[in-house]
Amino acid sequence: MDKRESMWDLYLKKGMSRRSFVKGCVALTSLMGLGMDQVSRVVEAAEKKPLPVVVWIHGHECTGCDESFIRSGAPLASDLVLSQIALEYDHLLSAASGEPFEAHLEETIQKYKGQYILCVEGAACTKDNGVYCMSGGHTFTHTLRHAAENAAAVIAYGTCAVSGGIQAAKPNPTGSSGIAHFAGKTPVVHVPGCPPIPEVMTGVVMHVALFGTVPPLDGEGRPKQFYGNRIHDTCYRRPFFDAGMFAESYDDAGSKAGWCLYKLGCRGPETYNSCGNLRWFQGMSYPIQSGAPCIGCSNAHFWDEGAMSERLPKFAPPIGDVDKIGAGLAAVTAVGVAAHAAASVVQKKKRIADEKKNEGAGE
Amino acid sequence: MKEEKRKVYYLFSPFLRIFHWIMVLAIVVLFITGLLITKPVTVLGIEPTYTSMSMDWVRNIHFIAAFTFCAAFILRIYGFIVNKGDRLFPRVWEGHFYSETIDVAMHYMLLKPSHAPFLRNPLARMSYAGLYVMVLVEILTGFAMYYMTEPSNIGGVLFGWVNVVLGGEMVTHWVHHIVAWLIILFAIGHVYMVLRADLMEAEGEASSMFSGVKFLEHVPKDANEVEPAKDAK
Repeated sequence: MDKRESMWDLYLKKGMSRRSFVKGCVALTSLMGLGMDQVSRVVEAAEKKPLPVVVWIHGHECTGCDESFIRSGAPLASDLVLSQIALEYDHLLSAASGEPFEAHLEETIQKYKGQYILCVEGAACTKDNGVYCMSGGHTFTHTLRHAAENAAAVIAYGTCAVSGGIQAAKPNPTGSSGIAHFAGKTPVVHVPGCPPIPEVMTGVVMHVALFGTVPPLDGEGRPKQFYGNRIHDTCYRRPFFDAGMFAESYDDAGSKAGWCLYKLGCRGPETYNSCGNLRWFQGMSYPIQSGAPCIGCSNAHFWDEGAMSERLPKFAPPIGDVDKIGAGLAAVTAVGVAAHAAASVVQKKKRIADEKKNEGAGE
Repeated sequence: MKEEKRKVYYLFSPFLRIFHWIMVLAIVVLFITGLLITKPVTVLGIEPTYTSMSMDWVRNIHFIAAFTFCAAFILRIYGFIVNKGDRLFPRVWEGHFYSETIDVAMHYMLLKPSHAPFLRNPLARMSYAGLYVMVLVEILTGFAMYYMTEPSNIGGVLFGWVNVVLGGEMVTHWVHHIVAWLIILFAIGHVYMVLRADLMEAEGEASSMFSGVKFLEHVPKDANEVEPAKDAK
């Protein structure tokens, strides 16, 4: 694979028309969250740019992100893997295994130094030199550091790769963390979610592939076009929130009528993702639409932010609810104040009596 | 009663006084609407379609109160600039501050029959500094939640970092809620201490927030910080 083909070359090879190529580019443009004025740039890139080499490695995780990825409907994951990127190494999707496979990783890294895209799923396990996550005879952190140093860009797929995910939940026995600080100077794109939306995953890798740069990122390193909105602000149930119509339990009339799930602990007001805009599986549904409150899976510490069915985190029992503590403390303060007032009156009376006595003695 | 000679000290400018009462009103409104936002009530068990418990309204009232409160700080700052009596920051850089604080604290713990006379006692000043810190936390966390509807906007850029510093927007909600309760606890203590001072020392502590003046019999320790006193009529 010395002469690397572009997307257009592949279309020609398969005997597909220019028309279908341009249609594909238009679809890609919208999937990447770009405006239609960018179509010409996408067409140009797809004509000239050789297919980007992608290395995809897996750390501490459940491979649920792959499960999500292969369900991408537009572009189809199969199209992406077979004709839009050159997937050279993937722990999960590769047919090869064993020593030749590991050797191929090294070969790819050396051959395409500074050119390939590194996709990472799963947390970096740091405790005890990372021995809790090994593959191919190396710790994951070793492979990650080596592959990331020589990559053009790193894409961290899933909450695990972004911030540690479930492995990093308290007490975090394996010292898991996000992968960003293993990437050295290579730019990192954060694509959180448990898992991320399939079209978001393909959209981000296509953006890096076609433009050779990372997409515009927000303060937490997430692509703005997919993580620029709170789910609460894009939720189709938002009118019920504004009208004060809330499901009180999972099985009441409000829940059946599709009212807002805020009181059932919905994390929509704190979560940035495209669930409200893109939804899942070609717009079929998303958690809130199916009647389950958002659990905030694209938030860094969502495992540790209180029970997922509670609006606000609670303190440990028996203290519990914040408002109960507040009201309790207010009552205690009021009682304390009353007691202090009573004592102050007694003290003042005594002081005046003493003063009178002293004045009497003085005269 | 024997005749007492008292002097009038002009302390609080109208700007501070107006600010103070806007703050009182705003905090009451913000606290009530805030609790409703956290835990929306179902009015009388009626189906919410037919009641007027509109989250939209509750939230708008909360936001209007918040913006009014923030805008009122212009008055506070102006008063601070033009009037010495408005400068209430505890003078922690002056050595006598600490002994005076202990003196007042001893009295409040009922260990001393009285404390030295002050126009604005050091402990009270510290509590106001604490209140401003709490208010600042509320403003930062509040705007961090409010403006993140559009993270790329100027508001999101100015306040979005708060969510990152606190370690997540959920924590921002939590901090906002807890500090709101702390402010209410402060308010209970504050109202009590003012009324107590009024009853114990009768120096016009409570009325000073309307009239701007206090009447003192003895020369207060912090008299040099404000304009010279006039004799009471």
